Amino acid sequence: MALFSPPVSSSSLQNPYFIPKFSFSLLSTNRFSLLSVTRASSDSGSTSATSATAVEAPEPVEVIIKEAPQSTPAVTKEEITTAKNVAVEGEEMKTTETVIKFQDARWINGTWDLKQFEKDGKTDWDSVIVAEAKRRKWLEENPETTSNDEPVLFDTSIIPWWAWIKRYHLPEAELLNGRAAMIGFFMAYFVDSLTGVGLVDQMGNFFCKTLLFVAVAGVLFIRKNEDVDKLKNLFDETTLYDKQWQAAWKNDDDESLASKK
Amino acid sequence: MATVTLKSFTGLRQSSTEQTNFVSHVPSSLSLPQRRSSLRVTASRATPKLSNRKLRVAVIGGGPAGGAAAETLAQGGIETILIERKMDNCKPCGGAIPLCMVGEFNLPLDIIDRRVTKMKMISPSNIAVDIGRTLKEHEYIGMVRREVLDAYLRERAEKSGATVINGLFLKMDHPENWDSPYTLHYTEYDGKTGATGTKKTMEVDAVIGADGANSRVAKSIDAGDYDYAIAFQERIRIPDEKMTYYEDLAEMYVGDDVSPDFYGWVFPKCDHVAVGTGTVTHKGDIKKFQLATRNRAKDKILGGKIIRVEAHPIPEHPRPRRLSKRVALVGDAAGYVTKCSGEGIYFAAKSGRMCAEAIVEGSQNGKKMIDEGDLRKYLEKWDKTYLPTYRVLDVLQKVFYRSNPAREAFVEMCADEYVQKMTFDSYLYKRVAPGSPLEDIKLAVNTIGSLVRANALRREIEKLSV
Repeated sequence: MALFSPPVSSSSLQNPYFIPKFSFSLLSTNRFSLLSVTRASSDSGSTSATSATAVEAPEPVEVIIKEAPQSTPAVTKEEITTAKNVAVEGEEMKTTETVIKFQDARWINGTWDLKQFEKDGKTDWDSVIVAEAKRRKWLEENPETTSNDEPVLFDTSIIPWWAWIKRYHLPEAELLNGRAAMIGFFMAYFVDSLTGVGLVDQMGNFFCKTLLFVAVAGVLFIRKNEDVDKLKNLFDETTLYDKQWQAAWKNDDDESLASKK
Repeated sequence: MATVTLKSFTGLRQSSTEQTNFVSHVPSSLSLPQRRSSLRVTASRATPKLSNRKLRVAVIGGGPAGGAAAETLAQGGIETILIERKMDNCKPCGGAIPLCMVGEFNLPLDIIDRRVTKMKMISPSNIAVDIGRTLKEHEYIGMVRREVLDAYLRERAEKSGATVINGLFLKMDHPENWDSPYTLHYTEYDGKTGATGTKKTMEVDAVIGADGANSRVAKSIDAGDYDYAIAFQERIRIPDEKMTYYEDLAEMYVGDDVSPDFYGWVFPKCDHVAVGTGTVTHKGDIKKFQLATRNRAKDKILGGKIIRVEAHPIPEHPRPRRLSKRVALVGDAAGYVTKCSGEGIYFAAKSGRMCAEAIVEGSQNGKKMIDEGDLRKYLEKWDKTYLPTYRVLDVLQKVFYRSNPAREAFVEMCADEYVQKMTFDSYLYKRVAPGSPLEDIKLAVNTIGSLVRANALRREIEKLSV
């Protein structure tokens, strides 16, 4: 159980030091300007330490847990006590409300201003794609609040299909075709040297056609070493839910004979 | 040979239980088709009539599943006892019910606190999409308070003739023979004796386990375990002017910061909002996810006060065994919560009703004893009716809650009107509406397009970090 508390306290304590301004200020705004806790009356005897940390105690003072399995009550209770400790220390870390949001000269009113991306009179879609990727990366690391006044309206489908193909599909297609060609050449040579069947005659043979199919499928689906395991897990995943539902019928088969019509 | 066959078949009509069973196993090659069709054995075993009493069934748990089951049983003429441990239980729950539930269960409209007609889906990069334009005037998602709904269903069960007992189920003694009763051990609370209550026992012929995610009935029949998600929710009272934004709108936030395999939500309740999130795989980080959810909704809930914090487990899939002899599980105890949306109230009530109907039918309105075969019919009917729905939602969850790019694609897809119409139709009416094939193909192409674009952007992001 002790394993659970460190992540919570470390994530809230260490972040201020490693990612200097952003998440730190976000956390402090969370704590102090956003919420105050009132003592709601507890009914199911939870361990609510009605603490003396008056209005500034941000984290909830009581958790009503519905008879959750063993581990959870311990986890959440520990997290409450940890959070309280953090709160006490957090009071000293109070700063002003500086929330740094994503800003870019070309990002206007929740969408990219395409006019600013022009190169030689035409929109440079590559730079639009890169700009959007930068924005998403920023938001992944520094999640922001949504706001009704500045809604995000950008839709990736405004970027034309050929821009995507040129940037992503073509280089990869070149790579895969190259791999397939190399594998194909050496396999044809290998089969020829073993069996004496030339390339044209190989194409008429069923076994060789199967080998060709396997080679192409392998090149398409296995692009990195990890893909082999990933594909296996994917197959298990697709059938798991069904297995869980059919489990009710599995033990049934032996018993049902006795009560069959 | 033929005469022997004939004799055994004529014997079938008047014979005792044993012979009935035996003959029904004989391969049909011996019988002539027309003879076979004239004999229809309607019960799996000639269950005896209960001579001096009605069938007694106990329903453990008084939530939507228990209440619906008890009402149907009582209306079907069966002696019903409903055991609920906390009559005013304020359950931590999203509280959303589909439109069809109001009709099917004849719920009075004043039970519904709010009618949500708009939803906002917010992607990891804060792209917000409005859903609900396709809803007709009379369509909505109902938000209820669980204590109000549960109490109403229990009251209706009581009015139909069920006995409602305030007690805590402890354990159950299994019967020795196929027709001896189950002995239930429970603690009855009756106001006078205070918190401890008195231990009592009761003998019943069948048990419906509707006691929720940590079901004791399930434990006593060795039903097995399921994976579960933890849903964590804070109820926040926000200032009135901010509350008007949530008048009839609910929000769903998706993203790795909010939950790695589920979503964060802001649901409006009677006079406050419920902000929460859930997860299966990273239960230890739930507080972090909750902070992130609050952060994403910060502008809109600024100045709010937390009035209550709650958490509860949500089953992810059914238990391996959902029934055993004359005990059946329904609702959360059986694990009937859908993936992707995490919806459980409607399915709990419907499964309670379906199980009760199977008991009423199998016992011919309480006149005969039932056996496992009758309860099995409820499982068959349930699986046949709802397995497609569960499967579709499972696929949706696997495809769209997988990673940030998938979630971005999900939100993009939700902007499409056809998607909205199909989603709401299937949610509100619990039917997989056919839709037009051309639109389906367009939808498939658009989905693949969105997924490809989102994944391409992710690769770009990875290139940037390197």
